[in-house]
Amino acid sequence: MRKEDVLQLPSMPLQSPTYPRGPFRFFNRKYLIVNYRTDPKAIRDALPEPLEPDGDQVSVQWLDLPDGEGFGAYSAAAQVIPCTLKGEPCNFISQMYVNNTSPLAGGREIWGYPMKFGHASLITHGDTLTGSLEYASQITAQGTMTYKHQVHPEIAHRENLLLARKQVTLKIIPGIDGKPEIAQLIGITFENVTVEGAWIGNARLELTPSVNCTLADLPVHQVTGGIHLVTSMTLPYGHLLHDYLA
Amino acid sequence: MNIDQILKLPSMPAACPSYPLGPYRFINREYMIITYETDHDLLRAAVPEPLVPNAEGHVLYEWIRMPDSSGFGDYTESGIVIPCTFEGEVVNYTAQMYLDDEPPISAGREIWGFPKKYAFPKLSVNSDTLTGTLNYAGELVAMGTMAYKHQASPGGLEAMNKAMTKTSCVLKVIPNFDGKPKICQLVAFNLIDISIKGSWISPARLQLIPHVNAPVADLPIKKVIGGKHYIGDLTLPHGRVLFDFVKDQKP
Repeated sequence: MRKEDVLQLPSMPLQSPTYPRGPFRFFNRKYLIVNYRTDPKAIRDALPEPLEPDGDQVSVQWLDLPDGEGFGAYSAAAQVIPCTLKGEPCNFISQMYVNNTSPLAGGREIWGYPMKFGHASLITHGDTLTGSLEYASQITAQGTMTYKHQVHPEIAHRENLLLARKQVTLKIIPGIDGKPEIAQLIGITFENVTVEGAWIGNARLELTPSVNCTLADLPVHQVTGGIHLVTSMTLPYGHLLHDYLA
Repeated sequence: MNIDQILKLPSMPAACPSYPLGPYRFINREYMIITYETDHDLLRAAVPEPLVPNAEGHVLYEWIRMPDSSGFGDYTESGIVIPCTFEGEVVNYTAQMYLDDEPPISAGREIWGFPKKYAFPKLSVNSDTLTGTLNYAGELVAMGTMAYKHQASPGGLEAMNKAMTKTSCVLKVIPNFDGKPKICQLVAFNLIDISIKGSWISPARLQLIPHVNAPVADLPIKKVIGGKHYIGDLTLPHGRVLFDFVKDQKP
């Protein structure tokens, strides 16, 4: 391959790039979001400066992604910490688990989504919307929610839904010498969001301590409710919020 | 989390980094490598300039069993290596890699630029046959076999120890958050503290099946040359930049 063509590669490997160029449109993307109160000190410890905590609530989320451009079909689980950056409300994505290399490598390498390989599933079992996460052969998280009991009161105002809030990731990529080469806070705002359905309901959440999948490090003090969303949306490229090496 | 803590993070996520800082020690790493001859034009297209592929048209198809790897755990890998030269020095260019463990995939891609994807490789002894298989997205894409420990390799352990010090080379591509190229480098490294415990050669056979996302068959097999089987301990250190496509390339 000619040198000038190497720079056109969207990703490794040269012979079959793991992910193409974005943006990436997702169709029929389903969420189970379980919100809960946790320890404020644990939130402070988990948030990279200059992000500031925004309350004592965080969430564990499950995503069923049956149709993602460039990525295919997969499932994900994530821990999300509401925060502020210079006063602007944001959501810090602190951990994500997926079962597919394309979004895993693309997520880490483009935006800095903190993805590891885990087996998340989001399915409807009889009357129960059920999210589970298995990491290294052990169940580390299980969330359940009533199935479409109550339509979300803010469905007409999608800007009020969590999806409109800016996502923030901490992108860390080492150099070949092991020193940090990229250390940035990246902002991502979904585009062309269509909410096809949104419901709220009672929820329960169990997090199991596991050293390489540390959702339980933000312990569940009180579950405040569940949100169930069905959407289509576009994941665009990100923008730089803060550069730790600048 | 303050800036000192952030800059000391070895990897993402901050809450439980995928991989620690290197170097990485591997105990009882077991290799099966089948050398074959392929098409010269296709080989040229698969290798990024300024690397030059070997004149013989040889390709190394490998399976590696890694039961005990510091920072990474227990996993198996399969992939394609192309002997090349860089400014006259012989190097091994790693073109494709498939493995079943995320930390070495992320560390491999992010530190060195190993072109790794998640798949299910397997290296096992089935009665009299050393057998490697690779499944990608539910389908078999590679199967290789060697006779089991028929003949010690020429030159013994000393020759194999020396061969393992050969420079390895990969193409590291990491995009920027806006999709533009950020890191685009040819990277080199050399294994250190190598201790080979056994090394054998034998006839081999190899089957590669076309698959769009695991294109191991894109370098077709014209002739199988033979197989090598060896086991040993080694350390994978950080590396160095041979060529930077962003900085060294004049527009």
